[in-house]
Amino acid sequence: MHDGIEALFHDAASLHRLVDFIHQYCNEQKTSQTYVDATDDFFGYIDRLATGTKAFLRTTTESALPPRVNVIRTSLLSVKNYWRVLHTFIKPAADAHTLKIPSPLLNLAAEQVRQVPGMQGANVVVLLTPELMYFQMPHSDIKDAAINLSATIPEARFPRNLGFVELPYSQGPSFFNNLVIYHEIGHFVYEELSNSDPPVAALDGLASEMIRCLQKNVKPDFKTLDRNTQVYAITVLQNWVQEVFCDLFAIRLIGPAFTFASVELFGLLGLMGNTTQQVKFSDSHPAQACRFSEHLRQLQADGWWDLVKDIQAEQPQLVSTIANLPSTDYQLDLDSGLRADCGLIPAFLDLLPAVRDSVRGLTDGARAKADDFRCFTDHIEKCLAHGIVPSAPKDPDNVTVPDPIAVINAAFCFYLSALPKLMGNLEKQDRKNLEHRSKWTRRLEMWTMKAIEDFQVWTKCQAAANERSI
Amino acid sequence: MSVLSKERILDRLRKPVDDQAGLVITPLLNRDMAIDADSVDLRLGCHFLLPKLLQQPYFSPDESSSTSLHERVHVPLGRYLVVPAHQTILGATLEFIKLPYNVSGEILTKSSVARTFIVVETAPWIHPEYRGCLTLEIANVSNTPVLLYPGRLIGQLVLMDVERELGEGKLGSTYFGPVYPEGPAFDSPQEDLRKIGVRRTSILRPDVVG
Repeated sequence: MHDGIEALFHDAASLHRLVDFIHQYCNEQKTSQTYVDATDDFFGYIDRLATGTKAFLRTTTESALPPRVNVIRTSLLSVKNYWRVLHTFIKPAADAHTLKIPSPLLNLAAEQVRQVPGMQGANVVVLLTPELMYFQMPHSDIKDAAINLSATIPEARFPRNLGFVELPYSQGPSFFNNLVIYHEIGHFVYEELSNSDPPVAALDGLASEMIRCLQKNVKPDFKTLDRNTQVYAITVLQNWVQEVFCDLFAIRLIGPAFTFASVELFGLLGLMGNTTQQVKFSDSHPAQACRFSEHLRQLQADGWWDLVKDIQAEQPQLVSTIANLPSTDYQLDLDSGLRADCGLIPAFLDLLPAVRDSVRGLTDGARAKADDFRCFTDHIEKCLAHGIVPSAPKDPDNVTVPDPIAVINAAFCFYLSALPKLMGNLEKQDRKNLEHRSKWTRRLEMWTMKAIEDFQVWTKCQAAANERSI
Repeated sequence: MSVLSKERILDRLRKPVDDQAGLVITPLLNRDMAIDADSVDLRLGCHFLLPKLLQQPYFSPDESSSTSLHERVHVPLGRYLVVPAHQTILGATLEFIKLPYNVSGEILTKSSVARTFIVVETAPWIHPEYRGCLTLEIANVSNTPVLLYPGRLIGQLVLMDVERELGEGKLGSTYFGPVYPEGPAFDSPQEDLRKIGVRRTSILRPDVVG
């Protein structure tokens, strides 16, 4: 005869086995690899949650009486669902140990993000994905589920300000292409601040401005559109706003290196397209022409563009050409039946000043300043051309060390324009040989990362010296 | 050949990075203490190559050597690596070094480290114009496992003048600019020996042995 209690034990034991396996897997990974702090925090969370879940399963089943079996099995369901979601995060996080990702860059990015108001204590867990694309894993759902679950398992409460970004596994240890993670980190910041309580003024204003722009520009009258179409239009506009927000966020934090990294990535993915494709707005993304136009505007406003526009490489010209495509050429290429002249693009263009303002407001304390680049770019280029890590001080007596943002941007410009110069200084290296080029690109990336790491070590050392002197 | 004194090391460090007579050591932490009367203290970096258990019963120094013999490990500052008794690992200096065209270097184990029966370097000579973090062969010759902490002092670099004219030649590219320890770079044994007239060389390779 079917025994409800026996079925409950069977069910709970299955879940216990799954949790135990994941728990062991994380512990094995933690002891055999090194991770950035965010991943360590995430595994620490899994550790606590696994212990809490196993304790919950034990106590709940031990005292179970037949009339409560169904109630308990229902509560097990929410625990199972949560672990099912976590399961998808754990393996990609475990794969992203410090030998597989550009950890100095991620540490730098995390440090910068913590300067954004409302993002104190933020950290980003990197996941390695099989897709050849960068993503941000939305985390609001998992956090909501964690809050619900914490009523039964207190350890389920999710760490505050922990986000997830996905890197293609093939790009893991590389440097220049990975600068696009700043865009994904922008998504994390946007999501985190959009859900903050109390709301962040810079983003709260955007929502009301969005409705104003839709009502002003959509034809016929936005209010007369059916409910589904209204929701669809708002969703599309939100997607576009978020994409431009994230681009501008990245530029404010990392400067023109982000724009060049975007060009590299789009090129690698075959997404640079022709002029016809560059002016098309899809459901999820604004046209490349519009995005690069915003890049250009921001780089000019922050004083970067004049410093990089004349480097001997194709990229600045390409960016400038795409950015200057007239906005009257922009086209809608949506999945829905919204008419091409429905006014969604004008509404978006009308909204852009508010997006720029919100990014500026949020990033003032974290932004990349062009001054150090201006001061150090020649020095950094000399270092790289002679195969020297660019943390070497420009003036050894005063120990003036280039800051990471200057290093990243100068190294990117060097990569685009002067790699043959470095190869020309070395024996038996042919700039037309692709293997040689790849090898020296890799070296260049390693020197750049080493310089960032050195800066971080040097800063801590200075702080310790100052403390000692006090 | 004379050993460079503190003053002469500082003079070399003051030269621009692209001056071929200039010396670069970066990051040079606590600079005033790091440079001694006749040497520069160097710290242990965060990356290591540990010997791998090979599937075949021998190691053949050939084209695949740089990746086949070791396993890479990263130990960030603040953590430690255990070197088992009687084992040798490869590490690297935290400092990246560029030597002038007319200066050679030798790296020696820091005396306090040597007294723990840790021996650094069996190939300590550094040629003029070298640039990179120095790969260190670190042997634990004691009977006890020893902990290594990245960021701590490990060796000292002694610099010496070399009587040499400034050449027009290019820089060698084989061990150029590493920032992590690197495995050995060998050509195939046949190719090496052919250069001295040996036409037939026995080789032992798993695919040949079957």
